[in-house]
Amino acid sequence: MLDKIMTITAREYKATVKTKTFLVSMILVPVMMFAGIIIMKLFEDNVDTNDKNITIIDRSGVVAERLVAIAGERNKNEVYEKKDDGELKKVRPKYIFNIVEPDDSEPDKQRYELSEKVWKKHIFSFVEIGKNVLHPVVSADEGDFSSVIRYYAEGAALDDIRRWLGNPLNNEIRQMRMKEAGIDPAQVTELMRWVSVNGMGLYSVDPQTGEYIEARESSEGEAILAPMAMMMIMFILSILGAQPLLNSTMEEKSQKISEVILGSCSTFDFMMGKIMGGVGASLSAALVYVGGGVIALRYMGRSDLIPLELIPWFFAYATLLITMMGAIMAALGSTCSTAKEAQSLAFPGMIPMIVPMMIWFLIVREPLSNFSVITSLIPPLTPMLMLLRQSTPYHIPAWQPWTGLFGVILFTLFSVWASARIFRIGILSSGKAPKIGTIIKWVFRND
Amino acid sequence: MENTIEIRNVTKKFGDFTAVNDLTLNVPKGSIYGFIGPNGSGKTTTLRMLMNIIYQDTGEINIFGEKYNQTFKDRIGYLPEERGLYKSMKVKEILNFFGRLKNGKNINTEADKWLKKLDLYDWRDEKIETLSKGMGQKIQFIASVISNPELVILDEPFSGLDPVNRDAMKDAVLDLKKIGKTVIFSTHDMDIAEKMCDYVFMIYKGKKVLDGTLDSIKDIYGTDIIKIMSEGGAAVLNDVRNEVKGIENINDYGHVQEIRIEKTCDPQDVLRSLVSKTSVTKFEISKPSLHDIFVRIAKPVAEDGGEVKNVG
Repeated sequence: MLDKIMTITAREYKATVKTKTFLVSMILVPVMMFAGIIIMKLFEDNVDTNDKNITIIDRSGVVAERLVAIAGERNKNEVYEKKDDGELKKVRPKYIFNIVEPDDSEPDKQRYELSEKVWKKHIFSFVEIGKNVLHPVVSADEGDFSSVIRYYAEGAALDDIRRWLGNPLNNEIRQMRMKEAGIDPAQVTELMRWVSVNGMGLYSVDPQTGEYIEARESSEGEAILAPMAMMMIMFILSILGAQPLLNSTMEEKSQKISEVILGSCSTFDFMMGKIMGGVGASLSAALVYVGGGVIALRYMGRSDLIPLELIPWFFAYATLLITMMGAIMAALGSTCSTAKEAQSLAFPGMIPMIVPMMIWFLIVREPLSNFSVITSLIPPLTPMLMLLRQSTPYHIPAWQPWTGLFGVILFTLFSVWASARIFRIGILSSGKAPKIGTIIKWVFRND
Repeated sequence: MENTIEIRNVTKKFGDFTAVNDLTLNVPKGSIYGFIGPNGSGKTTTLRMLMNIIYQDTGEINIFGEKYNQTFKDRIGYLPEERGLYKSMKVKEILNFFGRLKNGKNINTEADKWLKKLDLYDWRDEKIETLSKGMGQKIQFIASVISNPELVILDEPFSGLDPVNRDAMKDAVLDLKKIGKTVIFSTHDMDIAEKMCDYVFMIYKGKKVLDGTLDSIKDIYGTDIIKIMSEGGAAVLNDVRNEVKGIENINDYGHVQEIRIEKTCDPQDVLRSLVSKTSVTKFEISKPSLHDIFVRIAKPVAEDGGEVKNVG
């Protein structure tokens, strides 16, 4: 029996890894997954350097002039950067402020006219400084904006100018208030100096020397990127190893290959051989990813970021996830005769991979919450979510990964058993693909 | 006589539809057994049950004198009716794959032997997708016999083959018999079944309606066919039919006509009537062909499933 499974495994493995699709996917899928991050990193300095004309309506009458002066300083010091050859390169836009007199009789008309100028691209945006910004008043009237500064633009929420305005305007207003109160601003700066709170990991002891190991400073990379990378790799492995079983089984059925093979082995041998071929292909890709990651981090001098203790968990979960998903995909593929039918079943089959992708951030943010514990102990979700929790800097109680692993092993065995029952009926059936309800009935049918 | 296969009262249903109904059948060792029957009569279901691909609801199947177990698949070569091969694999790769799947010995030697026999040796390094349909079918046949099985089950091995490839396949099947293998094949080609099979089994609407040697089956139907060639052709035979009672059926093949007569009808009366009307060049009294017997049983009016003619 094992010989037959291994023969089918070897064929399936070769058929999967030899295809251009596998090789291209192995490179392209992670690139696409992380493309957003990479592109943002590459183009973070690539900003629109066209100068921005901004109109100010200063109802307070005391801020606008200072703002123009501060913007002038910024335009002088921050807009150009000196290149290696000594030439100046414009790296940011100039902010050119233009003050207009407030129209107190018809303020809405003035706002509308300025908005029209923005639409017609005559100006980029306009700022309205409330008359009470220097001494804000608490008003019961929700429509009273006299104590705030309002920034009007087409994309105000994400606008860099809005973000920039906050600091100089508030600094200036504070300085004015201090002057009025007769306080020396320099003294206040010293008194109000901010003390930062650094996020640190925990101390530990070297088991060999007994010396204390100083805690490392926590980084966003460790807290979010490392867990995300782990989960993404699991997702990619499923795409590479398990998902193709849906189509390959459907093709073997539609091209009448399956019955030829069933003349030589049982349906269980056939299905297991296919699943193990998929697992083999996935693990080959995993070795490339993990090996590549380790080499890259060492090269970057960040060996400390390599979660060595997680690697055995990673391979255990990956093997179980691909086996589980592969069994489900092979079973679903056996019920289909056309690519269209297979496509329609691909989504329900992918649910154990899609759900973790939807809730991963909640888990990373609070890996010890009840929600995180419970969801990571649901067997189909455990491989991705438990690994995600384990790869955060938090200490996960040891019973949880072991319980999760036990649950996944049981669920994987159940998946293989149930899928074998579906596979046995599906692979020889003909006609239209059955509904999900019928497929579930096949699992418990006595025959 | 030792039986390779013994089927006892086997029934298989798919929902409310009875595909095989209380089937009992013995396949002697070393024989060629032909399975015939109209489409959907239960041939493929029976063969799939023999391969343990589907399971009977009731009854018992013994192969090689024992109840079925998975190791038997290594001792049985199977060519299903619906067959295909991995198109991107090379001929030798795929034969090697099936040989290893059956735990076959000397796979490469066997592959070369069969490839030469079926005139495919020069194609051994080509991909399956480059082969013609007939070549592909011969490769599938080789895949089913490459492990040197004791029993070979072929579901419609001759369908879709041109006369040359059909002869090659026929010779290959006869070669298997010569070396002591038991061969079962299903076919719609009555001529092939009649010429090649030691035994013929016919299933109709899930029930066995014929089983035995060709001679014993023909004996049951008696000598009731007259083949006639005359100047008057079929038109004259209609006049004869009005004159002589007991002519059941006239089958017109153009140059030749065949009539089937009842037991009470004297062929001499038919001849006398015929020569009085036209010039007769051939008048041959014979047993019905397997084709005739098949048509008699499977014609649409036989709604009751036909009468069992078990002479085995």
